[in-house]
Amino acid sequence: MKKFLFVMLLSGMLAAQLSRSYAAESNATVTAAQKEGKVVIYSSTDSASVEPLLQDFKALYPFLQVEYNDLNTTEIYNRFTAEAASGTGTADFMWSSAMDLQLQLASKGNALSYASPEISGLPKWAVWQNQAYGTTFEPVSIAYNKRLLPADAVPQSHADLIRLMKEKHDVYKEKIATFDPEKSGVGFLMMTQDAKVFPQFWDLAKGLGATGAKVYTSTGAMLEKVGSGEHTLAYNIIGSYVLLRQKKDPSLGLVLPKDYTLVFSRIAFISKTARNPNAAKLFLDYVLSKRGQTVMSEKSLVYSIRSDVPGPITAAGLTKDLGKALKPIEVNTDILAGLEQNKRLEFMKQWKEALKR
Amino acid sequence: MSRTLRSFAVIGVALVVFGPLGLIIYQSFLSEAFFSPTASLSLGAYRYVLTDSGFHSAFGTSLLVSLGMTLISVPLGSLLAFLLVRTDLPGKKFLEPWLLVPIFLSPVVLAFGYVVAVGPVGFFSLWTKALIGRVPWNLYSLYGMILIAGLEAARVAGAGPWRIAATVSLPLVLPSILFSAALIFLLGFELFGLPLVLGDPAGLLVLTTYLYKLTNLLGVPSYHLMAVVALSIVALTFPLVYAQRRMLRTAGRFAVIGGKGQAFRPLPLGALRWPAVAIVLLWLVVTVLLPLIGVALRSVVSQWGEGIKLFDVLTLDHFRELKGYPNLVRGIVNTLLIGSIGGALSVVFYAIIGLAAHRWQSRWVSFLDYLVMLPRALPGLIVGLAFLWVFLFFKPIAPLRTTLFSLWIAYTVVWLAYGLRLISAALLQVKPELEEAARVTGAGQGTVYRDVTLPLIRFGLIGSWLLVFMMFVREYSTGVYLLGPGTEVIGSLIVSLWGTGALDLISALSVIEVALVGLILFIALRLGVRLDA
Repeated sequence: MKKFLFVMLLSGMLAAQLSRSYAAESNATVTAAQKEGKVVIYSSTDSASVEPLLQDFKALYPFLQVEYNDLNTTEIYNRFTAEAASGTGTADFMWSSAMDLQLQLASKGNALSYASPEISGLPKWAVWQNQAYGTTFEPVSIAYNKRLLPADAVPQSHADLIRLMKEKHDVYKEKIATFDPEKSGVGFLMMTQDAKVFPQFWDLAKGLGATGAKVYTSTGAMLEKVGSGEHTLAYNIIGSYVLLRQKKDPSLGLVLPKDYTLVFSRIAFISKTARNPNAAKLFLDYVLSKRGQTVMSEKSLVYSIRSDVPGPITAAGLTKDLGKALKPIEVNTDILAGLEQNKRLEFMKQWKEALKR
Repeated sequence: MSRTLRSFAVIGVALVVFGPLGLIIYQSFLSEAFFSPTASLSLGAYRYVLTDSGFHSAFGTSLLVSLGMTLISVPLGSLLAFLLVRTDLPGKKFLEPWLLVPIFLSPVVLAFGYVVAVGPVGFFSLWTKALIGRVPWNLYSLYGMILIAGLEAARVAGAGPWRIAATVSLPLVLPSILFSAALIFLLGFELFGLPLVLGDPAGLLVLTTYLYKLTNLLGVPSYHLMAVVALSIVALTFPLVYAQRRMLRTAGRFAVIGGKGQAFRPLPLGALRWPAVAIVLLWLVVTVLLPLIGVALRSVVSQWGEGIKLFDVLTLDHFRELKGYPNLVRGIVNTLLIGSIGGALSVVFYAIIGLAAHRWQSRWVSFLDYLVMLPRALPGLIVGLAFLWVFLFFKPIAPLRTTLFSLWIAYTVVWLAYGLRLISAALLQVKPELEEAARVTGAGQGTVYRDVTLPLIRFGLIGSWLLVFMMFVREYSTGVYLLGPGTEVIGSLIVSLWGTGALDLISALSVIEVALVGLILFIALRLGVRLDA
């Protein structure tokens, strides 16, 4: 632990050092970006929640125009692949929560290699070959309705959930929502990770089936229905979304499971065929920087990945609470195993059998 | 003149339809995305889809939904049309626009409106529960979905016979009713918003949601499989159009704007007057008021559902929050532009095609009949992609992609069948004798159109413009891939908000949209635009 702290301290100091020398180091990049004048971004992060980040970035580089396209993950992939193939130019900066699709694009040579000066501030697992960068540290959580779920029925861990679904069958009957792995890539990714780290995952799946859980394609629809009480609990919800909703809906509760909490990260890369590569580099550096990550944590309520950003909505804050129970989904080609057709279909089949659908 | 016009019509329509459709057909015979360097010719996609039990059951469910929807909407729509047009129903003038105007909510929002109003913990459900102790309906059943879809579609079913019922007697309307039935049957296969919101959580798959599944099932979007599913719906149009054409052979009989003046006396309903009003009102409550109230309520509450008192949670925050979306104003302006100016241009285009096919006895007309139906048969999910591909890979029009023109072209093509039906309904009312009279006095075909036909249908054209405007304003899936910063439309903003789940904001935005379009409609009707002309 001491050693760990020391490393953290050291990397923190190093990062501080780097951000101080930041402007000088990327001088050439800044000049080139100035000539480019703008950066085109495809992102699955909601434009309202990202607004503070963009404002701050524009304050830092007033000469850059930011063309922010708020798209869903499938749209990002569809647009990018078709545009890249047609040679008509596409996004400079790709930022999506579909970790597997992003990594697949990067691994097929669509990403620019660029060693961001901020790398030292990131965990090792968050950077893939200086091409794809994990930009956030978001716990996969359980959301529930505080008005309706009795305190003794709120699960604190995955094992708890399995037990409660059995013991309080009536409370949970048709009241649980979760992702449909067949239609949602993010949902599929989380469930396959669950299956990897949690030996009883299939018991959990069977429990979901036995209680008649409903499956969804969007986090928003699930949270809406948990808020209204149509469902009382939603399993595998990205924590940042719950925090955002809590601002408006005080009846939403958030549990980070104690036995293990998956950590999910929105992946960014710079397009190899970017028309404004330098502006994109500035944006990537900014998003990964302490300044950008602080804005993200404090204003956008998205968990920061940097260990040197203090506060509750950060990797540091989560580590303090959960320590080793945090299981980050690492940014590397292991994720791509889920895209392998036969394995994927096998998983879906098993899921449907468990769910009895 | 007439030859040029006709060749233009056939070639023009063929080009705009086969552009996107051709790409999809091509895609269906490949092993992966057509633009991928490793794509090869293959029948694998057909083999996979046609032998997949998921496809079979989704197809079966869609068939059931389509049939049910048609069986509900066609008799009901015809009845409503008849009541409003041919009888002395009380309050007719007031009710008419409510019945004719397609509800201008995106389908997903409409479905969500039902969830908020009559879902398990919806406002009306909880009030009912408080009164009688239980909720006697289940929104999330296959039959609930069919019922709602059928009731909603009654409007479409009525709109066709409407224009004709205004002046002729019921038996003569029959072919038009059957025509509407075919269209609705097809629309049943296209339903996406309702099944996604109402059926999907419980695992109820229809063809469009099955298609949706194919974007993720194999990891990356499987265009070749999606193309095959889309083509299976396209294939359905052939028997439908064939049946339709057989029924419409007697089209000459509709002509009613003739040389002789005619007067109609509405049929007195007598004692049936009030039951008839009750039916119309009940239908309005279910298809318009319930979802609209649901959406409107959601836009002014911070939370809702079980254990919430309405008066504790009222707020205007969601409307205020919309200010945080800088692209919103642009989206509204663009939507109105594309609906009004774009809609007018589309009506001109539809009118040219309509005139070209007007009184033309040729095989080319039947070719056109099949052709115009095809774009509507393509599900929204794939139409949007197909247009993206067309604008990306067909270089001469590539520069248009980032402008509103690309959206306009896509909308015009997708609504071809609807627009042409409006135009031809107007054209069918013109008796040949008027045009023949002009021709006898030496007028060329161009002069006949300009001086006789067009002036006679001008009210029909303006009414069509208004209806096309409504369709364009609520359109959302077609343009998803053509939008960029600067060319947002409301429909697309709703889609992107849906992704992140800001349903409160979507509701607020939809309320603004409904109010805005309602205002425009009100002004238009005040100015004397007639929807049934």
